[in-house]
Amino acid sequence: MLASITLVDSLILTLLTLVVYQSAAWVQQKWQLILLNPMLLTIIILIPYLLLNNINYAKYHQSTQALSILLEPATVALGYPLYQQLQHVKRYWKQLVMILTLGVIIVITMSFSLTMVLIHQEEIAIALSLKSVTTPIGITLTEQLQGDSSITSFAIMIAGLSGALLGPPWLRFINVKSDIAIGLAIGSGSHVIGSIILSKNNVYQGAYSSVALITSALLTAFIIPVLVPLLLPFFS
Amino acid sequence: MKNILYTIAAIVICLIAGKILNSAIGGLPASLYGMVIYCLLLQMGWLKPDKVHQVNQWGISHMGVCFIPAAVGVINHFELIKNHGYSIVAIIFFTTFFLISFIGILAEKYLTSGQLSSDHSTVSKHL
Repeated sequence: MLASITLVDSLILTLLTLVVYQSAAWVQQKWQLILLNPMLLTIIILIPYLLLNNINYAKYHQSTQALSILLEPATVALGYPLYQQLQHVKRYWKQLVMILTLGVIIVITMSFSLTMVLIHQEEIAIALSLKSVTTPIGITLTEQLQGDSSITSFAIMIAGLSGALLGPPWLRFINVKSDIAIGLAIGSGSHVIGSIILSKNNVYQGAYSSVALITSALLTAFIIPVLVPLLLPFFS
Repeated sequence: MKNILYTIAAIVICLIAGKILNSAIGGLPASLYGMVIYCLLLQMGWLKPDKVHQVNQWGISHMGVCFIPAAVGVINHFELIKNHGYSIVAIIFFTTFFLISFIGILAEKYLTSGQLSSDHSTVSKHL
């Protein structure tokens, strides 16, 4: 259902979102805590504001369309870090694509199947299957597959934070020690949030995780439209 | 200023090319075709990396705000979170750690560690 909005509503809500987000980004920069994720902080502030002012989601979403439209050019811009890091992994690109492809197939199958078994909702299963993908691509793919992009964004945050905080010690525990293995593992599971944590301590791990996060997002875009229709008959 | 226009034009042209490809052959979303085209044009030297570097970095480090309208949609799912919140978090947690372990073990076994020569991650902390 479309909500009626005015230009003033649009301006106020878009500006409010920008101001809250920028303030949250500033807070994270100041305290340098990964848990102070700007997206998470912004949602925690905006949702009570919308509820208190009786602004429903349809109205908020329509009012802030200017921001949603920027998702497409933002995704294109990721081609630059991909270009920067590609030359570093030229030597291993075949093995790299093979490993990431296997990982993507397994994680989509597991996430989709577990969600269908436990929650029985296809749009949630699609959203959770895309939780290892970097946010702009995750949202785009979820919308393409008619999943629920708000659940995807939420799931991407949890996957990012949990893997970024606990992933490196876990990998040490299971004896994964090389920069390339740690970088690729954290980049493919916890995308950008993981990449930031790694970059702080080890630039090589950070660079490998950038490669993994963009490559596995791209592979997911190829794989998920084929894989989901194959999995669906098992749960209908 | 020149570089701002250069980068915006480069990204918009790649996005338009992505939209044309998407409507011609389908498959990937237009923005992902655009991303691949952008990367290829940089690789082939048709676009100058030095000229896009600064503006592109700025764009990436501020793009997080574009995800907020989608993420706020969680507002419509309080019931789902109340009923299935634990299952959702458990699924995310379990599959994330499975994936991290799987990729980590395979990469450790089949890819030998090489040294990177320059530049670390350029993707923003705000994504």
